[in-house]
Amino acid sequence: MSMLLEVSGVTVTFDGFRAINNLSINFAEAELRAIIGPNGAGKTTFMDIVTGKTRPDEGHVIWGERNISLLGLSESKIAMEGIGRKFQKPTVFEAQTVRQNLAMALKTPRDPFAVLMHRKTAQNAERIEKIAEEIGLLNSLTRVAGELSHGQKQWLEIGMLLAQDPRLLLVDEPAAGMTVEEREKTTDILKRAAETRAVVVVEHDMEFVRRLDCKVTVLHEGAVLAEGSLDHVTSNQTVIDVYLGRGHA
Amino acid sequence: MRRILIAIALCCGSAFSGHAQELQQILQVHADEVAKPSRRSVSVVLEDLVASGLPQVPVFLEKWSAKNVWQREDGVFFIATADGDDLKLQDIDTGGETSAPKSTFKQLKPNGGVRRVIGTALVQFQLSDPDLTRREAAVISIARRPDAAQLAPLVASIEDEPDPALKARKTQLANFLTARFGETPQDRIAAIESLSTDTSVEARSVLNQILTVKSGVSASEPEGNLARILDPSQAPDAFYPQLVEAGLAPAETTPAMIRAVLEANIDGGTVGGVPLAQLNSETARYRAYAALAREGLAPPLVTEDTREYTVGAYVFYELYDEEDPAITDAAATALASVEQRVAIAQTADLALDGLSLASIYFLAAIGLAITFGVMGVINMAHGEFIMMGAYTGYVVQLFVPDYTISILIALPLAFAVTFGAGVTMERLVIRHLYHRPLETLLATFGISIALQQLAKNIFGTQARPLTSPDWLDGAWVMSDVIQISYIRIAIFVLALIFLALILFVLKRTRLGLEVRAVTQNPGMAASMGINPDRINMLTFGLGSGIAGIAGVAIGLYAKVTSEMGSEYIVQSFMTVVVGGVGNVWGTLAGASMIGFLQKGIEWLNPSNTLAAQTYMILFIILFIQFRPKGIVAPKGRAAAD
Amino acid sequence: MNKSFIAQNPSVLWFLAALGLFTLAVTLLSEATGVGLISTSFVKTLGKTLCLCLIAIAMDVVWGYCGILSLGHFAFFGIGGYAVGMWLMYARTEGIVLESLSGQVIPPTPQEISDAIGNQIFGVVGSSDFPLIWAFADNLFLQLAMVVLIPGLLALVFGWLAFRSRVTGVYLSILTQAMTLALSLYLFQNDSGLRGNNGLSGLQNIPGFEATPQATISIVFFLVSALALGLGYVFFAWVISGKMGSVVKGIRDNEARVRFLGYHVESYKLFIFTITAIISGIAGALYYPQAGIINPGEIAPITSIYLAVWVAIGGRGRLYGAVIGAAFVSLLSSWFTGGGAPDINLGFYTIQWTDWWLVLLGLSFVAVTLFFPKGIGGLFDYLVRKPS
Repeated sequence: MSMLLEVSGVTVTFDGFRAINNLSINFAEAELRAIIGPNGAGKTTFMDIVTGKTRPDEGHVIWGERNISLLGLSESKIAMEGIGRKFQKPTVFEAQTVRQNLAMALKTPRDPFAVLMHRKTAQNAERIEKIAEEIGLLNSLTRVAGELSHGQKQWLEIGMLLAQDPRLLLVDEPAAGMTVEEREKTTDILKRAAETRAVVVVEHDMEFVRRLDCKVTVLHEGAVLAEGSLDHVTSNQTVIDVYLGRGHA
Repeated sequence: MRRILIAIALCCGSAFSGHAQELQQILQVHADEVAKPSRRSVSVVLEDLVASGLPQVPVFLEKWSAKNVWQREDGVFFIATADGDDLKLQDIDTGGETSAPKSTFKQLKPNGGVRRVIGTALVQFQLSDPDLTRREAAVISIARRPDAAQLAPLVASIEDEPDPALKARKTQLANFLTARFGETPQDRIAAIESLSTDTSVEARSVLNQILTVKSGVSASEPEGNLARILDPSQAPDAFYPQLVEAGLAPAETTPAMIRAVLEANIDGGTVGGVPLAQLNSETARYRAYAALAREGLAPPLVTEDTREYTVGAYVFYELYDEEDPAITDAAATALASVEQRVAIAQTADLALDGLSLASIYFLAAIGLAITFGVMGVINMAHGEFIMMGAYTGYVVQLFVPDYTISILIALPLAFAVTFGAGVTMERLVIRHLYHRPLETLLATFGISIALQQLAKNIFGTQARPLTSPDWLDGAWVMSDVIQISYIRIAIFVLALIFLALILFVLKRTRLGLEVRAVTQNPGMAASMGINPDRINMLTFGLGSGIAGIAGVAIGLYAKVTSEMGSEYIVQSFMTVVVGGVGNVWGTLAGASMIGFLQKGIEWLNPSNTLAAQTYMILFIILFIQFRPKGIVAPKGRAAAD
Repeated sequence: MNKSFIAQNPSVLWFLAALGLFTLAVTLLSEATGVGLISTSFVKTLGKTLCLCLIAIAMDVVWGYCGILSLGHFAFFGIGGYAVGMWLMYARTEGIVLESLSGQVIPPTPQEISDAIGNQIFGVVGSSDFPLIWAFADNLFLQLAMVVLIPGLLALVFGWLAFRSRVTGVYLSILTQAMTLALSLYLFQNDSGLRGNNGLSGLQNIPGFEATPQATISIVFFLVSALALGLGYVFFAWVISGKMGSVVKGIRDNEARVRFLGYHVESYKLFIFTITAIISGIAGALYYPQAGIINPGEIAPITSIYLAVWVAIGGRGRLYGAVIGAAFVSLLSSWFTGGGAPDINLGFYTIQWTDWWLVLLGLSFVAVTLFFPKGIGGLFDYLVRKPS
């Protein structure tokens, strides 16, 4: 199977501190992957690099069939290439309605004049409703996003990612601050999404990762420590030492 | 009868004073020349007077020159001053005072040329006068009006000069005079060559005087010490008038002249055969004029082509006044070497100017940098805090007349006042607007408007003085080119002190540690028991207090007005932005860059400081393109946000 | 689409109705119709206020909606004024010069005419040559094109430089302020080609309409200003409605998020910055013929900050708020500083409003920022929400 995203030999240094250290990691199409690791393991920085927010000092990030290098592309270009990102803190546009939030994310032409002349179409409305249904916000379409509960905001943001119709979804701690039921629902949404695209979940919470039931990559000090099923990595002695051991102590 | 009496009196006088010759006698010998001196005749008198070596001579010469010598009907000269209708008389030799009616006396009024000759003679006496101040005055007068005749007495007086400083000055002056008026070309060239290391304005003017040229025009290359041949083809417009002046070419025909000639020759609706209505173009006017010229009604038309042709037929040149080419060559070489030294010195002077401007910007901006860097707060009222400090200084001077003491009181008081104002503002306004930087900017702008108008209401619109103590007056003069006023040095020192103080506070004290902690991570700092509220308040107070002190410093050399703050605020922001936010060294770098750059641009375009500021700002806008985070950019993850 | 746009924004209809009524009332009561209840000078004040309202809504779009606190929009306003002022001054001087030369026996040459005009216009700065920037001053249509082109191009270049290097927030505000300062300092020079601090004057005299009374001219300009405000309002309401509005507000609230959604944020900012600059230029072009004079002081950074003050007091993020703020504060300002407000005698001190108005304005501005961040426009929310 060809790889959707290949990250190889990437290193990033902040003020002499190596946040990412010769990291190599690959994702296939239609794959669900969890990335775990202690604080400072480089999870967020890894996402920053893939989405164009941070430039690495060295290494390659190759994308898609045409093997495009993502380094040097702007954030918006990378997003248009089909990489969506969900931030750790729910960042939806709180002053706007759920429908407006989704409409903005919908995969339509992005240049200012096309947007200025944009007309609402039945087709787009249908897509918005479909996504709203998927994330359980169909009845809240006209509500202002700021009024939503924490969990609903998280789903709205995942919904916006889906509306972008990306080929790779980077999701940063989607379950943080959620109730048990909300987590279950989130798991379902992500699993369904992963049927048609690659979904990478960065998570702290082991229970949530277990529920995702997917391949797990453990990051430590900016490099891959272990990779495999959750059971496989949790039985790895080094992983236990650096992460689990500490976490459960 | 009277004459006899006087003769007797004179004899007695001479008897009492031994056999020394009397001044009056010498004067009587030349009575006519003394009474009605001309430039030529007076030199004979002067020679005799100088030769006599009498101590009365200089006094007499002074009085003569000052029109205070009167001649009695019988020909005897007196030093006299008018007192109503009477004259207070003073005997020229004995100094004995008497009084007499004015009517029998005639005042001697030597003309300007004579007075100058007398002055020159007088200088010789003054140069060796026992009184130091008189000797100095004589040297100054020679320097002001150098003359060939003064060279010899000046040289003669050098050896016996007791005052070392004056002796040096005399030697220098003698050298200048030798360069211009020395007897042999060898002397002059040696003197000129010795000037090639002297960057003083005086030395340069000596060299320039030797090199003065007269421009002229002739049909062929002229005789004499040629300075240069000019190329008229570069600007025929400028050279043609010279030809006209020299009578070598007819005057230019200007459009106004053409118009006047045409108007004077209107002949029944046409001029020179051209109908009036067609004369609204230049070609038609030329045509009409040419027709008139052919008829002899107007001087021939001098067109641009003829002008260029005529100009090309002549040689335009500049001749040195000095005839000896060896001397002018030596002077030109010396001047070139001097000018090179002057250029170096000017660069140094410019650097000093830049340094002092940089210190001012640093003082004005460092408070802003602290509040902006630590709290992310843009304080638009910062300029008004500067103003507040300056007015504090002004008010202190109203109560404390001694300028030194008042400045010493004003500095801490200004700090206290603006510290208080800053803390109040932080408590009442800024605290409620954290994390809303644009709102803070606007709210502090509101405060800035209010404070400015308030100052206007209290102190009026005219500038108030903030006088510096005497010991800050004047300038440190290193040479004629390099000098810097003491106030600017003081500001530089103040800036250095503040740099050291702020670095000390931030790096070495508990407060500094807490400030840095709050800057980097307010949440974490709070959980460590640091009270961010208190730190923010103190930081803001500190930043404002420094603005107050900067205000006193700026007020000392600029005017204190209610608008002075707004003049510095944009530059201060630029300094902070260019330097990089939240870093003392960054502010220093920003202030240096802006200070030096502004002086540099002003130097390139000295006539126009407004343009300098415009280019400066454009440069900064471009600079930000390449280093959006400033010279000393914050690094690490914090920078990514 | 248009129907749904108005339907989404009922405030546009309300605004147009109010503006129409106001315009009608002022026109009927003006001296031009013979009623004369409103003096010509007050009609001019109102006309100028309408232009200020127009630049205020532009400011609201760029700041209230897009989150760019520009302290430079009055520079564009001034450029618009200068562009139209150049033609007004040139054409009027040309008329005067031609008349004075017409008495001469020999008809003047083009060079003589141009010299005489140059002398009239630039004599005050010790020059008589036409600078290059006056090349099109004799052509009204080209000069009107400048009203749009120069602010547009300047905004485009400046915005491209600034947004490209991701200068945001207070940095951008300071940078725009620096741009304004640079422009005003430049214009203050005598050799700027725009008469230094004398500025352009006599702009109230419209060439070709010398015989028309000022009462009529003032009401025409008033009506044109009202029309421009109405059109500008509808245009901006349209721009910020729908998806464009969503994106623009998104940029204001979370620029990075919009970027990760695939929008090229810089283009959007540039678009908003440029169109608001152009509208500001048009507002200035209408303002200065009513003011009669323009000089570099009008472009000083402080005026752009006042613009932000008006919009903040009126209420950001709602177009009618900007209109209310600009109208309310600028009219109040001219009332207070023009000596219209009575002095208050406290016994020991007399408060003269000419002196104290700015203190009051400054402090009330602080109060609005602290306590009423929604401004006067926020009151409407209260009124609208109360019945429901």
